[in-house]
Amino acid sequence: MKFFKLFIPIFISVFLIISDHKFSYVDNLRLSIATLISPIYLVVNLPAALHTWINEQGTSKEILLNQNKQLTNELIELKTKLQIHNALLLENKKLTKLLGASYSIKSQKFKMARISSISQSRLKKQIIINKGSDNGLKVGQVALGTKGIVGQITQVTPLYSTVLMVTDPTQHVPVKNERNGVRGISKGLASKKGKLIVNFIEPGADIELGDIFLSSNIGSKFPQGYPLGKVIHVETHKDEPFLHIQLMPTQDSKQMEFVLIGDSN
Amino acid sequence: MIMSALPLPQLLLELSPFWVLLFYIYWLGYSAANGRFFIALVLGVLIDILQGSILGQNALALIFSSAFISNVQQSFFVSNLSTQQVYVFVASSIYLAVILLIHVLIQGFSFSYYLLLAPLSSALFWPIVRLLLLKFRH
Repeated sequence: MKFFKLFIPIFISVFLIISDHKFSYVDNLRLSIATLISPIYLVVNLPAALHTWINEQGTSKEILLNQNKQLTNELIELKTKLQIHNALLLENKKLTKLLGASYSIKSQKFKMARISSISQSRLKKQIIINKGSDNGLKVGQVALGTKGIVGQITQVTPLYSTVLMVTDPTQHVPVKNERNGVRGISKGLASKKGKLIVNFIEPGADIELGDIFLSSNIGSKFPQGYPLGKVIHVETHKDEPFLHIQLMPTQDSKQMEFVLIGDSN
Repeated sequence: MIMSALPLPQLLLELSPFWVLLFYIYWLGYSAANGRFFIALVLGVLIDILQGSILGQNALALIFSSAFISNVQQSFFVSNLSTQQVYVFVASSIYLAVILLIHVLIQGFSFSYYLLLAPLSSALFWPIVRLLLLKFRH
């Protein structure tokens, strides 16, 4: 009897592990329980929210005016840059039409979310954002920072979402070199904090220090053209078929306060 | 569960004790409730969902650890504090071994070695957790 008392929970756990890994039978169960326990995030984030609120209340009028002036300047600068971008987009459309190609750049709508907390799992690098299914967020959407890709939404509750970061060792992102289009697959490094490696690039490929790797649309998991990382180390190992390339992510997660959520393609 | 969801820097997070296991061990000693392995299963599943882990990973780890503690229960709660710490270290090691085994089998050999120190920190924090929970109990 004692054996069964132990055996049945073990059997259920193993069943859950296999179901969650191989199939999607337990997705609804996960979502329901995640919704039920989501107030825990609220309690956990209470001190940080309080700190932000106090900071906001304590900001003087002078600081706010200065910040406003600075932001207005930045907005004008960005709008000017956007004009060039729009012109290029238009030119691209014309060229595509002339060539008769089906390739097109889709315009995207983004939703802004505040980062509630970073990393609460030992084996995963993830962030919690303060928007969820009530705001129209879905699993698979991509989180972007001002300097590049941050990660992908893996779990959604009505109030919060979990984003698995690109620096997680299990997060594989198809990438290409901005300079020459050499393609590879990046993933996080478990041993070196916050760094990435690029796999599957052959030793003869032209990769230099300082090259930027951009996301690629292969697999339709990530949108193409967003910066992911800068090459900080390239090494050829004898008897190994691929180069060892290390990247420093362009987006530093420690300095982020907000992320933009967009579709993966 | 709130302790498990606290946002910490990655290194501190990896070194931090298995809070749920520590609270669960304390509860095992002072509760005569039946179905302790089912409670371990439910607690583990909740932790899995809270941390975004594979469903059942923490549950299985908690069940095995509590099976060990249940086996040594009689000697555990009459032992002195340092012997209890040794038991907690072994239970935490079992917990870590199960979690890492599942992680390696499913996602490959990709984890920080600092994680291996978590059983030690669990054993070190046991007297504090025990004292605090005793105070709360009274």
